[in-house]
Amino acid sequence: MYFAGVDIGSTMTKVVLTDKAGNLLSTIKGPTGAEHRQLANEVMRQALNEASLQIDDISYIVATGYGRLNVPFADCQITELSCHARGVHSRFPDVRTAIDIGGQDAKCMKIDNGRLVNFVMNDKCAAGTGRFLEVTATALGIKLEDMGDISLKATKKVQISNLCTIFAQQEVVALISRGEKLENILAGLHDALACRIAALGRRLGIEPDLVLTGGVAKNIGMVKAMKESLDCEILVPEEPLITGALGGAILANEIYMKAVAAGEALSTKARRLEKATFFGEEHR
Amino acid sequence: MVVQKERKTINRLKSMYPLRAKVNETYLKSVEAIQAGKPAVWGMLNFYYGDPILKAMDIEVVYPENYGAIAAAMGIAQQYLERADAEGFPTHLCGYSLTTLGYASRMMKELKGQIPPEAPIGGMPKPLFLMSSAAICDARYKWFQALGRYMDVPVWPLEAPLPGIKEFFIEGHYDKMVKLGVKHLRDFVAFVERMVGKKMDWEKLNKTADLMIEVNRVWHEVNELRKATPCPMHSRDFWSAMPAALFLAGDLEDSLRLYQDMYKEVKDRVDNHVGAIPDEKYRLVFAELPPWHSLAFFDRLAERGWNFAIESVGYHPPIPLDLSEVSDPLERITKFSLQFLVGYYEDSRKQNVLGGTTAYPYLKYAKEWKCDGALLHPLITCRSASTHLPYVSDMLIEKLKVPSLSIEGDIVDLRLFNPEDALARAEPFEETMDYYREIRKQEGSDW
Amino acid sequence: MSGRNAGLDKAREIYLNRSKRVRELKAAGKRIIGYPCAYIPLEMLTALDIVPYQTCGDMREPITEADRALPHSFCPIMRNYLDCALKGKNDFLDGMVTAHSCDPQEKTARVWESYTHYPYFHFIDIPITIRPEALEYFRSQLNDFRKTLEAFTGEELSKERLEAAIKPHNRQRALVRELYELTKPSPPLISGTETVQVLKALTSLPVSEGNDLLIEVISEAKNRSDGPGKQPTRLLIWSSTVDDTDIMQIFEGKANVVMNESCGGIRAYRGEVKFTADPLEGLADYYLNEITCARTFRQAAPGETRKDYLRDLQSRFGHLKGIVRDWKINGAIMLLVRYCDPFAFEMPSLKDYFNSIGVPSTYIEYDYTTGTLAPIRTRVEAFLETVGH
Repeated sequence: MYFAGVDIGSTMTKVVLTDKAGNLLSTIKGPTGAEHRQLANEVMRQALNEASLQIDDISYIVATGYGRLNVPFADCQITELSCHARGVHSRFPDVRTAIDIGGQDAKCMKIDNGRLVNFVMNDKCAAGTGRFLEVTATALGIKLEDMGDISLKATKKVQISNLCTIFAQQEVVALISRGEKLENILAGLHDALACRIAALGRRLGIEPDLVLTGGVAKNIGMVKAMKESLDCEILVPEEPLITGALGGAILANEIYMKAVAAGEALSTKARRLEKATFFGEEHR
Repeated sequence: MVVQKERKTINRLKSMYPLRAKVNETYLKSVEAIQAGKPAVWGMLNFYYGDPILKAMDIEVVYPENYGAIAAAMGIAQQYLERADAEGFPTHLCGYSLTTLGYASRMMKELKGQIPPEAPIGGMPKPLFLMSSAAICDARYKWFQALGRYMDVPVWPLEAPLPGIKEFFIEGHYDKMVKLGVKHLRDFVAFVERMVGKKMDWEKLNKTADLMIEVNRVWHEVNELRKATPCPMHSRDFWSAMPAALFLAGDLEDSLRLYQDMYKEVKDRVDNHVGAIPDEKYRLVFAELPPWHSLAFFDRLAERGWNFAIESVGYHPPIPLDLSEVSDPLERITKFSLQFLVGYYEDSRKQNVLGGTTAYPYLKYAKEWKCDGALLHPLITCRSASTHLPYVSDMLIEKLKVPSLSIEGDIVDLRLFNPEDALARAEPFEETMDYYREIRKQEGSDW
Repeated sequence: MSGRNAGLDKAREIYLNRSKRVRELKAAGKRIIGYPCAYIPLEMLTALDIVPYQTCGDMREPITEADRALPHSFCPIMRNYLDCALKGKNDFLDGMVTAHSCDPQEKTARVWESYTHYPYFHFIDIPITIRPEALEYFRSQLNDFRKTLEAFTGEELSKERLEAAIKPHNRQRALVRELYELTKPSPPLISGTETVQVLKALTSLPVSEGNDLLIEVISEAKNRSDGPGKQPTRLLIWSSTVDDTDIMQIFEGKANVVMNESCGGIRAYRGEVKFTADPLEGLADYYLNEITCARTFRQAAPGETRKDYLRDLQSRFGHLKGIVRDWKINGAIMLLVRYCDPFAFEMPSLKDYFNSIGVPSTYIEYDYTTGTLAPIRTRVEAFLETVGH
């Protein structure tokens, strides 16, 4: 018996396959792109190949994330909030608060024994998401993945006053030309983002253990800045991008086993890897 | 490196300083009195309606709206804003309200009623009651209601009728407004008496009402003098000197004397053609709330020859009216307060300028104070001080050929106002003002 | 088109083409007067044989014209309403009546009057409290409204005509409450989406035609077998305005919306205008006291010298307790319209109230455009997952 979680995020699509015992058989990540309706099956195919499985082998499939409605072979859709809660809990059993910072949104989740109990989200303003760092990295001519390491060398934090990501871009360029050191500017940028995310978290109330996930969690400078902003310890999973898909697979397992135990029939979708279509027509 | 001292181009009125100082004095005296155990009330700006009652009863009043501005200017509002956000108040709300709500949460929930040690100028103590006002915006009375979450103190929202401009002239309407106002005020007096445990001194109220009216009449006359060319008094002096008239800050007899001194000084300047800035090239009207934290910005504009001749309708005294035949002080107070709201209605109706009660006065200001342009300052969390601005801009250009420049800011998020950006727009706007001056000349205007 | 749900079909048709009927009536010589807000006493229009028409906007309409007169950081609903008006969508109106319910209503009313040229325009001032003198002032405002209506129509708005108009409007309120009885069963017999369509249709028809529609819909729904499917969560939506099916469908994706406490929902229909010696008194009393919009300042006891927070919450929100109990509500969504101040200030206190009566609740914000619907879906679903059974 095998289970799948498919997380179609706004920037990355992730698939996790597990066995009945919850062991990870494969995890695949790929860019979502603009045509995410086309890509779900591609990523799934890769995941199946890696685990040497066929689509028919999967007993239950949960789709989550921004594009969850566009996974035709998924048996049900669950929000990424509940999935993250489950996924994070499987790695950190004492987690009570999780913060996920993605490319285009930021979410805080209150968790009780792996169950989502409350949440707040920001998806209105890029300045409170990973996009803020991407844009400013480009403006500074550095790689996003190097930002964190460089920022740790800072000797002071430069205040970034612009609230808007686009204007912050101009501001950092101006700071460089004024002779400010790159590492200090980066520290300021991390601090600005951390403050905004901390404000989001405070609406929920932060309770330890606090876990950080999402692409931004791989940024060591952000983890530091978040620790300072929230004044508490932060745990980061080894694979911070796949907690949503992992949670989806765990929930798929639970839902299926619960139905089996109760002797209930579960409705499932056709096990066919087709592209999502409009009006029932195939797209090439 | 030579440190350049900031040049003060604006020629400030000497008589402004004691009026400005009086605000600080009063505030500090108030803080002392409160610390010595005198009861305090948190009040909203209520436009001459509730303040005289409290003054006659000798009650200390703290204005959270002002405290919000102080907190913002001193850079300590952020923590209160964050608290309010954490409490679940949406961030689009008035920055002053969020500051107060965050402050109240900190004081009551965290510090069990003790004034927060980080609060500047003595902070705001837990009040005896909250006096809010319906005038100008919804937030002001809803905010005080929301404070009930942190403090079990009674709230009295003062009514402030706001009829339609045409509707106001329906027979009997004014009398109905006065009737509402007087009854309401009488009930408010009874409420205050119960709260402080002493009766109103009606003689004192009579005197207070008269002084309030007279102080504002003189203050009105001072501002009429600013019609002269060059304009003898800059907006900065208006904003510094207004609290004694608007909030009845300090001793009213003293205030009257100081405003009379100011009248003399301004008249003197008019007679000697002395302007508020060395070289008046442009006369401007400003709307609505100034960037309190960046007033030096106006000196930079003054260097370019921008003289601000008139401003902020919301802060100006009502057009004087004769209330000498009205014996009941509550009626005098009500009528005077209503005058602030409806004083311009007659003119507004005649000119068919119906787009908002605070909009028409700008037409009158631009015309009578001979303004070349309007500087508009919309504030992202203060909708009531910003909503009328697009209409004002539209109306000024359409009816008077006076152009407007809009520069955004906020009441507490000071990062939103960028003086450098604003100054960069000044030069092109001067070209616009020059152009429209020509147009106005061609059309036969006298300025 | 199924004959079984002819009433619901009719409602949907009207919802999609709101001004059709009033245009017909106008062509047949009737006067049509527009209004934006639930605080307008429609009885006074009906009494003079004027057809009231709510000048709603359209969530799908991109705002282009309203920028001349209103800033961006302003109630998006009123901006939308004004935008539609400036685009001429209400040009068939003979006039408008507006009111000082909230700041955006007041400010938009002035601008509306300046930028359009209807033959008739009247603004009603409304006090913020429900104190006796406030009520009296409001009554006098309604009297002034009567005067301008009489001047406009050349007819007398007599006591008899007014009482004759109050009857069908009270009947409409009673019928809407009867309609909402249909959402009490599990599953409800009528969906939130269908209810929005019916109620929107009512704001587009003369009162008697609206009553006929309600009677038809109620009788059909009682006998239908194709009603909404049962969902584990029965939701209460609390908001200033929920009058669009696109957003209602987001809530109904995985839940049953059994109560819509907003304009577009039950808010305008909860009580009844009492018959008083001066009918304007009964109207003033109803509209000031019974419309549960956050703009009115309610207190447990006005001017009370010893305030009790829980008692205050009860006085402001207590009407929700019965609703929660009788409709077996197990989840509440506080849907805030961006830049709405009165409702925004209420939210933390309302959450306290919901907590005190054991109803899980969540805040969701929308800006009256279709662009924000996808993220709202995630929030709604996540909330349902937390309430989850």
